[in-house]
Amino acid sequence: MRLFSSDFHRFDKLVAVVLFVVVDKTMEISNSSADSDGVNKEAPQLVALLKEMKEGLDAVRSKVQALTVKVKENHFPTVDGISYLEAKHLLLLSYCQSIVYYLLRKAKGFSIEGHPVVRSLVEMRFFLEKIRPIDKKLQYQIQKLTRVAGPAVEKVGSGGKETDTTEKTEDLLKYRPNPDLLVSKSSLVSEHGDGVYRPPKFAPTIMKEDKISKQERMALRKEKETLRQASQSAYVRELMDDLEGRPEEVREIVGTESRELTRYKAKREEQSRREEELFTRAPVTKMEKKKEKYLKKSRNGLLGLADGFYDEIKSLPLEDDGGEHTAGFSNAGREGRKFNKRKSHGFLVFLLDWADEKPGTQEQKREDRSDLHLLDSEEGD
Amino acid sequence: MADTKAVTERTRKFMTNRLLSRKQFVIDVLHPGRPNVSKAKLKEKLGKMYEVKDPNSIFVFKFRTHFGGKKSTGFELIYDSVENAKKYEPKYRLIRNRLDTKVEKSRKQMKERKNMTKNIRGVKKTKAGDAAKGGKKK
Repeated sequence: MRLFSSDFHRFDKLVAVVLFVVVDKTMEISNSSADSDGVNKEAPQLVALLKEMKEGLDAVRSKVQALTVKVKENHFPTVDGISYLEAKHLLLLSYCQSIVYYLLRKAKGFSIEGHPVVRSLVEMRFFLEKIRPIDKKLQYQIQKLTRVAGPAVEKVGSGGKETDTTEKTEDLLKYRPNPDLLVSKSSLVSEHGDGVYRPPKFAPTIMKEDKISKQERMALRKEKETLRQASQSAYVRELMDDLEGRPEEVREIVGTESRELTRYKAKREEQSRREEELFTRAPVTKMEKKKEKYLKKSRNGLLGLADGFYDEIKSLPLEDDGGEHTAGFSNAGREGRKFNKRKSHGFLVFLLDWADEKPGTQEQKREDRSDLHLLDSEEGD
Repeated sequence: MADTKAVTERTRKFMTNRLLSRKQFVIDVLHPGRPNVSKAKLKEKLGKMYEVKDPNSIFVFKFRTHFGGKKSTGFELIYDSVENAKKYEPKYRLIRNRLDTKVEKSRKQMKERKNMTKNIRGVKKTKAGDAAKGGKKK
């Protein structure tokens, strides 16, 4: 949207017309003030109002004339687009135009039904309402700026016209670098007196501390991962043993170790390392003792046999009573309760026990009897 | 039991603690095929290894057997002299080393005495007073 001098011309003309009409009317009313009491009462009010309006319009007119002159001199190039505040000014301007025209028509006695000015009035009013929240948000900053600009402007434009000040404030609002303003700022600073530079505070800012970029963060995480994986490898562990002066350990693994056991061992090792560091020992709780006792039970090297069993069968639609998946001690919600001895390899233990028993025990007899039963039934059939 | 397999000790994290005038370290004892080694034996062995004049100034404690047996780890302190040991060591360890004696206090009597003093307020809670009360009670 471009700022045309014709706009100002139009406005100028409108204002002149309205002023004329208003003055006319006031003269009429004041002349015919002797008509009746009611009119007399209303008339002074009306007169006062009209006088106010006249004054306002006079001021506006002078300003607009000055601005028109400026526009003619091409002081406000708007080729690169227009800022928010300028747009707002224009909006307000057109709104005033429409209002004035509306009043004119009313004053002249013409009807307003279906006239396009009504529609344009409504439109502009709508726009103004829409930009009000933005205005509110900017209010604080604008206030600050005007406060800062105020004294500076006074200093510089003390000999200038009113328009100069408006220009200066507008420039400040646009944040365009202006060498004149630079001078004013230094004078502002010296005004403080204590010789310390205090920057003007407009909006809250945060100091950027060492910001770790995404790549750096990823690299750090990768490093941590590799370190963790390396510590689990046997070769690195050997190296570490060498460094610390620990004797080389040759471990004999009887059968496969269950996951539980390896985890338990790793935890205990970690704890013992920490204890050696501090030259103390942490007390062993009851639960830990129970766990240790349970894990020390040898199962003839078949510890890790049923490790992945439930992982495999849990997808199958068997007639399980869903609560028997408790595998080992690591149950989160079983803090104080009695340890549930039914585990994934519970049946394995049972089998082993059964295998270890001598012949002629209860179960064996039961088995024999069941066989006999089958035979009987077969014979019967 | 015959000594079929040798018992090996290794020391780790050796540190000379000048503040407490002692040497402290971690011991790894390897004893395959036999249960835990007794502390007295360990003391004797270490005394020989470190050429300690007085075996009473060696304190061995907090031994724990690793999972699966065959290896146990513990802590050890060797004081410069028995006087230093008596100054710095906690009472129970001194009693274990027979440098101090345990005072057998009857718990019941102690509690009775305490409950008696609850009735009295202030300076009167002296030993003489207590003794008198004790005598009175009888």
